[in-house]
Amino acid sequence: MKTDKTIKTLLATSLVATMAIANPSITAVKVDDSIDLSKVSNDDKVWSKAKRANIALYPQTTIKMNDKNANKINAKNFAKDAKILAVYNSNNVAFKIDWKDASENKADITTSSDVYADGFAVQMPTNFSDPKKLPYIGMGSKDRPVLVHLQKATATHYEPNGNKDVSLQVNRHQTNTFEKELAAFDKNVSDAAIKDYQRAYISEGFRSMTQIRDKDIAFNMNMSYNKGSWSATMSKALKDGYLDLTKSGAVPVAFAVWDGAKLGRDGIKNLSTWVAVDFEGKKGNEALVTELTAKVEGDAKAGKALTDTMCASCHSYADKVAAMPTMAPNLSNIGGYSTAAYLVESIKDPSAVVVAGYNRNAHKNTAWYTLGAKGERVSTMPPMMSDDKQIADTVAYLMTLKAEVK
Amino acid sequence: MSKRQLAMVMDLNKCIGCQTCTVACKTQWTNRNGREYMYWNNVETYPGDGYPKKWMEQGGGFDAAGDLQDGIIPNIEADYGVPWDYNYESLASVNVLGNDADKDGYSIKGAETPGLHPTTEPTWGPNWDEDEGAGNFPSDNYFFYLPRICNHCTNPGCLSACPRDAIFKRDEDGVVLVDLDRCQGYRYCIAGCPYKKIYFNPKISKSEKCILCFPRVEQGLPPACAQQCVGRIRFVGFLDDEESQVYKLVHKHKVALPLRSDYGTQPNIYYIPPTESPAKFDAEGKIIEGSTRVPMEELEALFGKEVHGVVEKLKAEQKTRKETGKSEILDLLIAFNHSEMFRLDNNYYQEVAKAKGQSPLAPVDTRYVKGKHTKVAFGGGHH
Repeated sequence: MKTDKTIKTLLATSLVATMAIANPSITAVKVDDSIDLSKVSNDDKVWSKAKRANIALYPQTTIKMNDKNANKINAKNFAKDAKILAVYNSNNVAFKIDWKDASENKADITTSSDVYADGFAVQMPTNFSDPKKLPYIGMGSKDRPVLVHLQKATATHYEPNGNKDVSLQVNRHQTNTFEKELAAFDKNVSDAAIKDYQRAYISEGFRSMTQIRDKDIAFNMNMSYNKGSWSATMSKALKDGYLDLTKSGAVPVAFAVWDGAKLGRDGIKNLSTWVAVDFEGKKGNEALVTELTAKVEGDAKAGKALTDTMCASCHSYADKVAAMPTMAPNLSNIGGYSTAAYLVESIKDPSAVVVAGYNRNAHKNTAWYTLGAKGERVSTMPPMMSDDKQIADTVAYLMTLKAEVK
Repeated sequence: MSKRQLAMVMDLNKCIGCQTCTVACKTQWTNRNGREYMYWNNVETYPGDGYPKKWMEQGGGFDAAGDLQDGIIPNIEADYGVPWDYNYESLASVNVLGNDADKDGYSIKGAETPGLHPTTEPTWGPNWDEDEGAGNFPSDNYFFYLPRICNHCTNPGCLSACPRDAIFKRDEDGVVLVDLDRCQGYRYCIAGCPYKKIYFNPKISKSEKCILCFPRVEQGLPPACAQQCVGRIRFVGFLDDEESQVYKLVHKHKVALPLRSDYGTQPNIYYIPPTESPAKFDAEGKIIEGSTRVPMEELEALFGKEVHGVVEKLKAEQKTRKETGKSEILDLLIAFNHSEMFRLDNNYYQEVAKAKGQSPLAPVDTRYVKGKHTKVAFGGGHH
């Protein structure tokens, strides 16, 4: 059967992706300006022109959320394989993301307190001029903001909106209306609903994530479920009030997906590392593509020995669980969603990027940072190594720390 | 920790379980817009499963080392009790005796039940086990009422669990609020709160909770639950205000204790433990002199070891009062004058608002009112 063959090929490809140390990039194919990419749909014929890239999405394990049931379900997650297509023209860039999900979860939110919707997000840095100093993958870091574009499959919901429609908030049985008038009331309520859970955020680390409520960001997302897979698109103007890609030859992009069946939301997700999206036929940002696709040079075996002696007392990873779980970022999937440059930077200068971590009230004895005189975050991790060979070996090992793709 | 802390004391000896507080809160805040199932104020029977069901077993709070504990998020239908509606519409067209009744007026099996009935079969609800209590009737059964609101903790579990910094504690009075502009509906706060006093609003997909009636408090009015309390069991005031009856009961006389302080959240709602319960009966139905029905172990589980001293003190105070006619503690607890139970210091809030240049005070977390990179601050509406 043809489908079986495709799956086998896919498995083989993803396995290779796991084994290889270098990360793939995504080629955005140039299409004609007459095509309106801002309204592109999942089954648009423009996608037939695109080149597929397989990007692995790793389970977020850096911090552990406090939902007992979710932690049980997500204890041993595998990485997911996302098939990504990208096209661009003078006005827009558009992505199509396909990933497997055994069930469609739309979270019928009108009556439930404990169901969650599937969803996906596309993240981009607002500044990527230095490919060695990209924002932290977990929604940016101090002075390195990211834009997050989020789409959830959440059905109808309402928001406090300042539209003075308070009369629509009452229970329908308290309205003094019957039959036709009640039906009209129901319709007005339904019309006031937000049917598309699509949001954009700007963030310097996940605690600071703030919703963008102005009209200066131009993007569109949609997702549809069909036979065990989600198909999603995200299109974005090449230039809006927050990001200008008109002069870029490439841009780093990260993808994340949530599985409602696994109580996924926020940090309970699968995410990619920064992936270089190369605008085909456009010059600029060659260093970015080189950096994000480079093979990590180093002796991973020597690096393991270094990691075990120098990192394991605070960090948990692989079979190393000696450290207190809240002591430091868990490194179990660090190789899956980190760039090598980030790891090098963090080993040399841990305070360059301080992970937002837990609320400082949640685990007082294991704070990940102290506050400096000006309120700046100073990592509790001291600079660990200065020898470049040691650092390269350690990073080579850390890059192998990631879940298998399934 | 906030600069000042507003607190409440509830006298459990005087709570009659009439739910007037519950209704006052519900009609003021939670009878609409996705909050229908929520009871920011509830009165449960103790011992009992409480609201939500078995909330004490659902995790959250802190361990002895101060680490936030994992918890679970209750289910509306199974744990809170779904607020069912009735088939009002069908009453207009359907014979209340039942169109589907047979000639003798009995309902035909399998047909819709005639008359007014719930649209969903209720399986659980707040006060499902009201007045059941524990023990054997009539020899040693017992229960008392436990009114509960958000504890506006000094070390809140909900706030600590939020990965989006969407929950904040007001500096001026310690009221714990959800910034609905920041809340993304993740619900970790619910898992983190050991009292399960923060709720998910499924309609707006955000968490909501008791706000200690801050818009009333800022105007010098006590929270609705306290003002409406027919038993005059609730005292409201600042913990650092020596003139307030709250201060006198909590700090001066030390007869009010927080609920389950072992959860480590440093709650700010205090309780006068129940000292009064009838004597037990023996097998012949005779009164066992000197016995008391509410076991001290139960009170210790709720209010900690200190409860023994507090109960002794309250009993001694009753004796003193009987003998001498004098007792400041009992004068306070009798609550001769309702308005004296509240000391809210209206001018204080006016000064705070003035100092902040806000009137009224902003109900959002001012840390994020103006996002560093966003061009529109709170109030911009959704996209």
